[in-house]
Amino acid sequence: MKRLSLLFVVALAACSKHPIVVGSKNFTESDILGELVAQKLEASRCAVDRRLHMGGSLICDAAIAAGSLDAYVEYSGTALTAILHQPAMTDRAAVDRTVTASYARRGLRWGPNLGFNNTFAMIVRRDYAQQHGLRAISDLRKVQSEVRLGFGYEFVERPDGWPGLVGRYHLNVAAPPKTMDLGLTYKALAAGEIDLIAGNSTDGLIDSLGLVALADDLHYFPPYDAAVVARNDIDRKCSGASAALASLANTIDDATMRRLNYEVDGKKRDVAEVVKEFLRR
Amino acid sequence: MMTANIARATGEHVMIVAIAVVIAIAIGVPLGVWAARRARAGGAALRVVDAIQTIPSLALFGFLIPIPFIGGIGMRTAIVALILYSLLPVVRNTVTGIRGVEPSVREAGVAMGFTPRQLLLEVELPLAMPSIVAGIRIATVTAIGVATIAAAIGGGGLGTLIFRGVAMVDTRLIFAGALPAAALALIADAVMTMIERRLIR
Repeated sequence: MKRLSLLFVVALAACSKHPIVVGSKNFTESDILGELVAQKLEASRCAVDRRLHMGGSLICDAAIAAGSLDAYVEYSGTALTAILHQPAMTDRAAVDRTVTASYARRGLRWGPNLGFNNTFAMIVRRDYAQQHGLRAISDLRKVQSEVRLGFGYEFVERPDGWPGLVGRYHLNVAAPPKTMDLGLTYKALAAGEIDLIAGNSTDGLIDSLGLVALADDLHYFPPYDAAVVARNDIDRKCSGASAALASLANTIDDATMRRLNYEVDGKKRDVAEVVKEFLRR
Repeated sequence: MMTANIARATGEHVMIVAIAVVIAIAIGVPLGVWAARRARAGGAALRVVDAIQTIPSLALFGFLIPIPFIGGIGMRTAIVALILYSLLPVVRNTVTGIRGVEPSVREAGVAMGFTPRQLLLEVELPLAMPSIVAGIRIATVTAIGVATIAAAIGGGGLGTLIFRGVAMVDTRLIFAGALPAAALALIADAVMTMIERRLIR
C-alpha cells in the first residue's frame, strides 16, 4: 500500500510537469528556428513538446494567444502588419518598440532578436533577369505586360504583400497572379511555368536554383527581424526557459540563416541534425 | 461580389471533378477488366493504383510541375492528380464485379457461341455493373472533397476560398468554400443513387 501511494505521488509529480510547447510556421526556416528553440530549451533541462509546421502566422498567433503554444519564432514586420493590423513602417527601431509594447499588453514577450532580417524578396530566374535587364523591383515595369506571377495565398491577401507593392511601385501587371502553395512556387519558377515569385531573402534555394532576388529600391517591405515570441508565464513550466531563450540573442546573421536553410532545402538534410550541428559550434 | 466568387469557384470545381472522373472511368474500367483476367499482371496493376493513393498531394504536384504536357501549374495538373486519385475505387470495383460473375453464366455464354467481345459486353459487364457504378460513386464523392487541393497549384475551384480563408484566419471564407463542396458531394451522391437504381432494376 505504501509503495502504491508512493507510485501515485511520483506519477502526480510527473503529470504536473507540463512540457513547453514550441511551434513553428509551415516553411523550412520556421521549422529550423522552432527546432533551435526546442533544442536550446532541452539543453536547459526543460521538457519540450514540438508542434512544428503549423498553418502560418495567424494560426501560430491564435495558438500562442490561447495558451496552446508557449513559444515560436515570428518576424517583426509580420507581427506589426498581419497580426497587430498596424500600418507598415520602415523604421526598424520603431517597429521593434511598437511590437514589443503591443505584445506585452497581450501577455506575450517579444524577443530576443535572433540577429537576421528575413524580408520578402521578389525572385526571378537569373536568365530572365539578364534577358530583360532586371535588377530592382522598379525594373518590373519593363516586363509588366508579359510577366507571369505565382504567389502563396498569404502574400496575395496581406496588406503588406502584393496589393501594397503594386501601389507603391506603380505597377500595372497585365495578368493576375496565380495563387498556389508557397512551397510549389519555387518549383514552378525553376520549371519556367512562372517568372516572378515572392519568396524570402534568406531562402537557401535562391542560390542553389540559379535565381536572383530583386532589390527593394523604394524600401517598400518593412523589416522582418526574427525574434522569439514567448508567453510571459513560460518560466512556470520550466524555470530555466527565459534564460535559455535569452541566450539566443543575435546568434544568427543573414548569411548563417541562408546557409542553414540550404542545408535543409538544398542538401535535404534533417532539420534536427542541422540545428544540433549549429549549436555545437 | 462574394456570391459571384462562390459561383465561379463552384463552377470550376464541378468542371475539375467532372473531367477527372470521366477520364478516370475511361482508364479505370478497361484497366479493371484487363486486371480481372490476368491474375499476376492484374495484381501488380492494382498495387500500383494502391500506391498512388498514398502519395501526398503536394508531393505529387511537385513531381508533376516539371513534366511537359500533363504537368505545369493550373487546372490541368490538378485534373491529372485527381484522375490518379480517382482510379483506385473504379479499378478495384471493376475487378470485383468481373471476378464475381458466376463461371456457369460465363460458360453458358460460351456454349451459345458468344465471341469474347460479346461475352464481355453482353454478359460480364452488365452483371458487374452494380459494383462498377458503386466504385464510380465512391470516386465521384471523394473527388469532390479532394479537388480542393487544386488551389495549391493555381487550379481554381472551391479550395481557393478555403486556402485564402486559412491564410487569413477568415472563418467565413473557409465556410464559403467548404459548404458548397459538401452540398456538391450530397448532390452527386443522390444522382449516383438514382443511376444505380435504374441500372439494377
